[in-house]
Amino acid sequence: MNQTINVDQLNSALTSLRTLRLSVSHVFETLANGLRADHGEDGKEKFLLELQELLTNVNINLRDLEQTVTGLPIPTAPFNLGNTTYLSQETTQERQGLYTQLVNSYKWTDKIHEYSSFAHSLLSQNSLKRSYINSGSTKRRGKLQSTHNVSPLQVDNVINNIDRSYNDMKITISRPYASNAVVQINLSHVLKAVVAFKGLLMEWVMVRGYNETLELWTESRHHVFRKVTENAHAAMLHFYSPTLPELAVRSFMTWLHSYVNLFSEPCKKCGCHLHHTSLLPPAWRDFRTLEPFHDECKQ
Amino acid sequence: MGVTVLQQYPVPEHKTGTYVIELLTKRILALGATQQGQFLVDCESYLSLPQMGSTKTVHILHNSEQPASVFSILESGTKNIHVIADGLFDLLMMKLSQHYTSKKQTKIESKGPRFELGDFCVKFGSVTMNQNFKGILIEVEYRPCVMANAVWGLLREFLQGLLGPSITVQPPQHLLSRMNEIYAPIDTIYQYLEHFSAYRKVTGLRSA
Ligand SMILES: [Zn+2]
Repeated sequence: MNQTINVDQLNSALTSLRTLRLSVSHVFETLANGLRADHGEDGKEKFLLELQELLTNVNINLRDLEQTVTGLPIPTAPFNLGNTTYLSQETTQERQGLYTQLVNSYKWTDKIHEYSSFAHSLLSQNSLKRSYINSGSTKRRGKLQSTHNVSPLQVDNVINNIDRSYNDMKITISRPYASNAVVQINLSHVLKAVVAFKGLLMEWVMVRGYNETLELWTESRHHVFRKVTENAHAAMLHFYSPTLPELAVRSFMTWLHSYVNLFSEPCKKCGCHLHHTSLLPPAWRDFRTLEPFHDECKQ
Repeated sequence: MGVTVLQQYPVPEHKTGTYVIELLTKRILALGATQQGQFLVDCESYLSLPQMGSTKTVHILHNSEQPASVFSILESGTKNIHVIADGLFDLLMMKLSQHYTSKKQTKIESKGPRFELGDFCVKFGSVTMNQNFKGILIEVEYRPCVMANAVWGLLREFLQGLLGPSITVQPPQHLLSRMNEIYAPIDTIYQYLEHFSAYRKVTGLRSA
């Protein structure tokens, strides 16, 4: 929906509609009751006067409603309710209330999101975090942006931009589960990775070998890629940033790209390819310098 | 399959091949390897008969790692042509006995224990030709990596760690031109053929 609807206007229109209905039902109620004892001797006259007054009310309310309705913008297209439209086709009695529940839980998550963003900006002022963050983010709080609920087009743009900046890393997007992107990364002839997104937030990473098939839930049969997967999860959490999601994705991809020399570059600390006990190549990359280290050597 | 390197291991004077393989087995088990069965690579060579013009050689090889395949390499002048077929190819060679004769006395094989150590697969092969012991070939495969160029330093480090620093580790002749290609099972076969051909030229017997 491009056109934002003025909620206040809509609300006042609904209120005047309600008032109109009320006054109309008042008319019918009075008519149905007919002459009452309190109308007294000249009951007929008084009754007609009362009715006239009520009808004038109806007229006033109707004019009010017409006025507010003309002030409303005309929607350009029918409202798109997304998948929730299908709920109206539900035939089971006890499930017909689902729409209200859905709206409630949507409001609830939206509120959680809002609160957690505030909490995030408050917490980032205190240097409780181990990682490098810029405390300047508090200044650009402004309008809170939803990061778990962005349009697929926006996600595509962010990911395609990253894809274009690497020659040896191919990123392809697919959407096997509704609107959320599952991104496949082919890093040279070294490894393959698959990242599941929720909006612009990364939720899951799996790294497997070049000669293995890509699967989201099955671990690699090679020790080294199981180790890289483990470290990729750590990186995903490290770069996690709900206020700047695009930066988080970009940083993660830069970090993952540094695995292009997984087998060819020795450890920066001990100078060896293989660690003497684990017999693994340096499967850790420093978050800042991207230098290779063995897990055992990174401290 | 990952990049594989085949390395000759010297058998000292007055020592037998069995003794050396036992020694290597103890060493790799101490590093934490587990033995996963045995392996066998064999090679039989056929010569074309004179009526076919210039003599050509066909080498037929089997590798227990790819049990359903038969590898054949045709040597014709400067170029080698290989074909990977299924088990029926052996029967086809028998049918071709009119044109190709087997050099039975040069049938050669490498066999021995097979180990897994982390992402490495290590095989200690004792090479015999016509029941005569010829030497020891060590095969090391690093399974996660498919490109020889990227993994060469790592493989050298592993081989020298396992066999001792005195062993010189050079990229095999066959791999030199294929360092940036994706490694395939036939590349292992070519390496075995290189070593088998060298062993065939060496005369003199060793005690197994
Ligand atoms: Zn190290």
